Amino acid sequence: MGIVELENVKKVYTLGKAEVHAVRGVTFSIEKGDFASIVGPSGSGKSTILNLIGCIDQPTDGIVSINGTVTDGLKDKALTRLRHETLGFIFQSFNLIPVLNVYENIEFPLLLGKDKRSKKEIREWIEFLVEAVGLGDHMHHKSNELSGGQRQRVAIARALATKPEIVLADEPTANLDSKTGQSIIELMKKMNAELNTTFIFSTHDRTIMDIADHVIQLLDGLVVEDTKRSAKVGNLS
Amino acid sequence: MLLTMKVAFRNILRQKKRSFLLAGAIAFGMLVITLMNALTGGVVGNIRENFSHALGGHIFIMGREWTDAGQMIMKIRPDERLEQLLEEHGAQIEGFTRRSQAMPTMIFGSRQTMQMLYGVDFAEETKLLESLIVTEGSFSEIGTEEASIILPQPVGERLGVQVGETMIIRLETLTGQQNVGEVKVVAFIKDQEELGLSAAYTSRSYLNTLLGMDPHEYQLLNMFLTDLDMVDEFARVFREGLRAEDEEEEVVEAEPAVSVTVAGMPMDPMTEREELTPWEGTRYQIMHINQIMEAVELVVGVLNRVGQVIFLILLVVTMVGITNTFRMIMIERTKEIGTMRAFGMHQKQVKNIFLWEAVFLGLLGCIAGLFLALVISFIVGGIELNTDPSMQFFLDNGKITFIFSLTKVVFNTAIVVFISLLAAYWPARAAAKMSPIKALSSHT
Ligand SMILES: Nc1ncnc2c1ncn2[C@@H]1O[C@H](COP(=O)(O)OP(=O)(O)OP(=O)(O)O)[C@@H](O)[C@H]1O
Ligand SMILES: [Mg+2]
Repeated sequence: MGIVELENVKKVYTLGKAEVHAVRGVTFSIEKGDFASIVGPSGSGKSTILNLIGCIDQPTDGIVSINGTVTDGLKDKALTRLRHETLGFIFQSFNLIPVLNVYENIEFPLLLGKDKRSKKEIREWIEFLVEAVGLGDHMHHKSNELSGGQRQRVAIARALATKPEIVLADEPTANLDSKTGQSIIELMKKMNAELNTTFIFSTHDRTIMDIADHVIQLLDGLVVEDTKRSAKVGNLS
Repeated sequence: MLLTMKVAFRNILRQKKRSFLLAGAIAFGMLVITLMNALTGGVVGNIRENFSHALGGHIFIMGREWTDAGQMIMKIRPDERLEQLLEEHGAQIEGFTRRSQAMPTMIFGSRQTMQMLYGVDFAEETKLLESLIVTEGSFSEIGTEEASIILPQPVGERLGVQVGETMIIRLETLTGQQNVGEVKVVAFIKDQEELGLSAAYTSRSYLNTLLGMDPHEYQLLNMFLTDLDMVDEFARVFREGLRAEDEEEEVVEAEPAVSVTVAGMPMDPMTEREELTPWEGTRYQIMHINQIMEAVELVVGVLNRVGQVIFLILLVVTMVGITNTFRMIMIERTKEIGTMRAFGMHQKQVKNIFLWEAVFLGLLGCIAGLFLALVISFIVGGIELNTDPSMQFFLDNGKITFIFSLTKVVFNTAIVVFISLLAAYWPARAAAKMSPIKALSSHT
C-alpha cells in the first residue's frame, strides 16, 4: 500500500450557483520514497490535489489516505496533528515567517509540537539542515535579506524539520528563474535520496518534470498518464 | 507558548508606526490616570501632614466637666487611667503635648490684638523650642520666669512691643470671669501663619492661673503617632479606656468632619448637637486626624473616580482602534497564518499569537505611560512653587508631591491588559477560525 492513496477522488467547488469540477475522479498511489511529480496545464487540478493530500482541504467524494490514515471525517484538530506529524510543505512563494530568521524558520515546525529529542540534538539537526541546503553562512538572516532561491532553500529545510514522511511542493520553482529552479529541484532530489522522504511536487516545466521518478499527468481534473521509472535516478548531471 | 509569545512580540515591532500609535494612546491614558492618582495621593498626604502640624497632633483628647454652677468647662485633671494608657502605648507615640489654651486680648499701650495663646509645659515639650525660629530675643529666660511670653514677630510689630518689655493680656477664665495678667516678651518667633499656626506661647502653669486652673491641669492632650495607620486603632483604644462607666458609646464617626475648625484648635462637634445633661467628673472626647481627612479623602475620591472614568473612556476609544488594527493585521497576515496552520499550528495557538500581541502592546503602553509619569512627576515635583499661601496647604514646602500607589498602578495595568485582550479577541478568533486552504490561497 502506498504512503499516499487516492481513490476516485472528486472535488467540486461551488462559486455561487456555478459548480467547478476541479478534480473529477482521480485514483493513484505514491510509494514511500517516491520523488513524484504532478504535471498538467493550468487549471488541470494540480494544486487542488496537493491540497487534498496536504490535509488542508477535504475531497467532495472519494478517499484520501495519508500514511495509512483516511482523512475523511477528521476534525480540524486531528487534521492539524496529522499535518504536523506526517507532512512538510514547500510553497510557490516561499512563505517564510518574516519575523523569524533562517534558523528560527526551520525550527518553527518543531516548536509546534513536543519533541522527544534534547535541545542539543535538535540544534544539531537544524544546523545539519541549514548546511544541507547550503545556507550555513545565513543562519541568522531574516527572510527579506535572502534571494528567492535562498528563501526556497530555507523552505526546503523547514519542510524537512520534523522529519515528515511526505513533503508537498506546489510549483516550488514557479517564482524562480529556470537555473535556480533547477537547483532547487536538485536539492529536493538530494534530500529525497538522503532522508528517504517522499516528495510530491507539481510543475508545468518539462525539464523539471524529468527529474521525477514518478510522473502523474493531469488534464481537466483527470489523470491521463501515470508513469513510474523503476530506476530512481533523475538526470542529476 | 514560548513560540507564540516570540512571534507575537516580534509582530509588534513589525509595523513600528502602527504599534507606536496604539501603545502611545494607551501610554497617554496611563500617564494621565497615574499622574492624577499620584497627585491626589500626594495632596492627601500633604494635607494630612499640614493638618497634623497645624493642629499639633494626630489624636486629640479633650476633657469636659461640669462646675457646681452648671457650666461645662474644658479641662483635664491628672488622671491615672490616662497616664497608664500613655505609658502602655508609649512605643507608638512619637510625642505628645499637654496644653492649655486661650484666645486672649493682648494689650500694649493703646494697641491691642486677639491672639491664640498656648500654655506649654516647656520641660515636657523639649522639642517645641527647637522647632520655633527666633527672630529676636532668646528662650533662655523661659524656664526661670513664669510670666513670660513668646510672640510671633508680626504680632509684636502690630502691638509695637519690644523684646524685654511687659504687656497685658486679658482673658476669660474657664467659668467666664474676666481676668488680666502681665507678661514679659522674651522672644519673637517667625510666624507660620500660612499653616494657621500663628500662636504665642507661655508657660502652662502661668496660663492656668489666669484661666482658673491648677498648674498640673490642662485642656488638650495632643499625640503624634509613629505610624499614621494606627490612628483609628489608637483613637478607639483611648476612647474605650477613658469612657466613664455610665457613659454611652459615642457616635463620633458619623460626625460631619468638616465642621472642625482648622486654625487654632479642633472644635468640639458635640457641643452644638445636643443639650447635655450634666455628669460627675471628667468625660473625654477623642478626636483624630482621620476624621478631618475623611472630607478631604471624599473629595479626592470623587476626583479619582472622575479620572478613572476618563481613563476608561480613553481606553474604550483605544480599544476600537486596536480592534480595527487587528482586523487589518489579520488580513495582512492571512498567508502567514495559512502557512503556520499547514505546518501544524492549532487554532488556539493562532489565536494566542494575536492575544499575546495585544497583551504586549498594552503592557508596552503601560510601561511607557508609567515611565513618562515618573519623569514628569520628578521634574514638576522639583519645582518650588511661589503660590498663594492658601495653596501651601496642599504642598510640601512649596513643592507638589506625587505619591505612586503600586496597587493603583497594578490595577490600571490589569484594566489595560484586559481591555486590550477584549479588543483583540474577535479578530484573533476570526484569524484562528480561518480555514488553512482559504488562508493559503489568499493573495495578500
Ligand atoms: N477555491 C476555489 N473556488 C472555486 N474554484 C476553484 C478554487 N480553487 C480552484 N478552483 C478551480 O479548480 C480548477 C483547478 O484549479 P487548480 O488550482 O487545482 O489548478 P492548477 O492545476 O493548480 O492550475 P495552475 O497551474 O494555474 O496553478 C480550476 O478551474 C480553478 O479555477
Ligand atoms: Mg496551482
